[in-house]
Amino acid sequence: MKRRSFLKLLGVLTTSTLTTGLHDVQAGLLRSPVRTNHLRPPGAVSEELFAGKCIRCGRCVESCPYHCIDLLDIRHGIHAGTPLIAVADIPCYLCMRCVSVCPTGSLQPVAQAATRMGCAVVNKFTCGAWAGLVLCRTCYDVCPFKGKAIVLEKLMPIVIREACTGCGLCAHACPITAPDQTKAINIEPPAAGEAP
Amino acid sequence: MKDVAPAPSSSKRGGRSLRAIRFGLLTAAFLLLILTPLLNYYGNLTFIQGWYQSLGIGELRLISPLEGLESMLVSRQIWVPVLIGMLAPLVLASLLGRVFCSWVCPISFLAESVATLRAWIVRRKRFHDRLVLSKRLLWYALIGELLLSLILGAPIFVFLSPPGLVGRELMLAVYTHRLAWEGILVVGVVLLELLTRRFYCRYFCPLGALLALVGAKRRLVVAQRPDHCTGCAGCARACPQGLRPDLGEGRSLYCWNCGTCIDTCPHQALHFTWQTSLPPLRKTTASMDQCR
Repeated sequence: MKRRSFLKLLGVLTTSTLTTGLHDVQAGLLRSPVRTNHLRPPGAVSEELFAGKCIRCGRCVESCPYHCIDLLDIRHGIHAGTPLIAVADIPCYLCMRCVSVCPTGSLQPVAQAATRMGCAVVNKFTCGAWAGLVLCRTCYDVCPFKGKAIVLEKLMPIVIREACTGCGLCAHACPITAPDQTKAINIEPPAAGEAP
Repeated sequence: MKDVAPAPSSSKRGGRSLRAIRFGLLTAAFLLLILTPLLNYYGNLTFIQGWYQSLGIGELRLISPLEGLESMLVSRQIWVPVLIGMLAPLVLASLLGRVFCSWVCPISFLAESVATLRAWIVRRKRFHDRLVLSKRLLWYALIGELLLSLILGAPIFVFLSPPGLVGRELMLAVYTHRLAWEGILVVGVVLLELLTRRFYCRYFCPLGALLALVGAKRRLVVAQRPDHCTGCAGCARACPQGLRPDLGEGRSLYCWNCGTCIDTCPHQALHFTWQTSLPPLRKTTASMDQCR
């Protein structure tokens, strides 16, 4: 009788979790960790493919000379073990070492200028130059494709979408940090389905 | 107790030599997992990267077969470098069988260390396997793992494989000075050793199952000299996989060529042989059934 009641309890618990919680759990398990200023390393295949293709060997992390790549843990569901770069902390210097060691083709060879980890977006409300408060051009100065990816127009930085690699050097260097930890220039990940 | 002293006949061959070599290799393989991230992080030498999910030594890349298979199945793309990386482990497994598991795998190292420590603490040499399941569970583990991966659309074993987790945790400890939660799995798997020897490896390791399958017609097997065998069943008690080498199970799918039985046999009735012609697998199973 004891075993039967235990099994009953188990059954009730399982069905109730399955019916109520499955959707949330599934969403949580499958949600991509890629978001503003948190990007895949250069040359990454599209986010829909990445979790399936990457074998979580961590060699990109080990080979990065700047230690900018981090590995996600189990709290990120099926994305556990995949690499992610928090560009506001340490940006990507586009050395392409991670690409050269990736064994699965999750990171595919790409020219520095053709890399699309994301795209920088200036927050015109918090940016000092746009607000007319300071003569700051830090993002322009640190941009590896200065004059192509970020240009100055009337001393205000403007991102040229077509040329921005999303390396995050600008976001890292930006002196302004909003209370929500975003910078005055942030890297937005490539939109879903868009070729990276 | 009586196992401690090797029989005089076996001392000629060096007694427990195989075990010493194997444990040496296991230790070296484990040290590699510790040294690689240390050298990479503090020395910036990135000559060797990764662990046994994918190990890169210079331009040589090795990829664990199951991880590569999962990646290609789930992404539905054939990526030739993956196939090339899987080649060496697959050839090794097809010739020598599951030797990765018993001679290299960090879980084997940890489990064996725990077993040695336990034997040293309680001063006993042999332990009973408290929970013995059907050996066929291994195949269900492999099938279940692949099915689950395909249903979820994400490879499961690549981030939950205990051998891979050992490497990942060690690397994370060096690189980020923290550990990932999923490492608890490793602790659990190693503690199961106290229940039954190599419990996880025997019944649940999908990678072990794949390697065993690949090594079904392996060349290196544990063969038996029936005229030397006295039927003492010492090998059967020693086998960490719970097999009966005295009944010819050294040739079975489940044997991982660790050589423990060879070391244990006081009459030198067991030895490694390189088969030049492949034996009919069915026949050995039939004769095993007869013995029972």
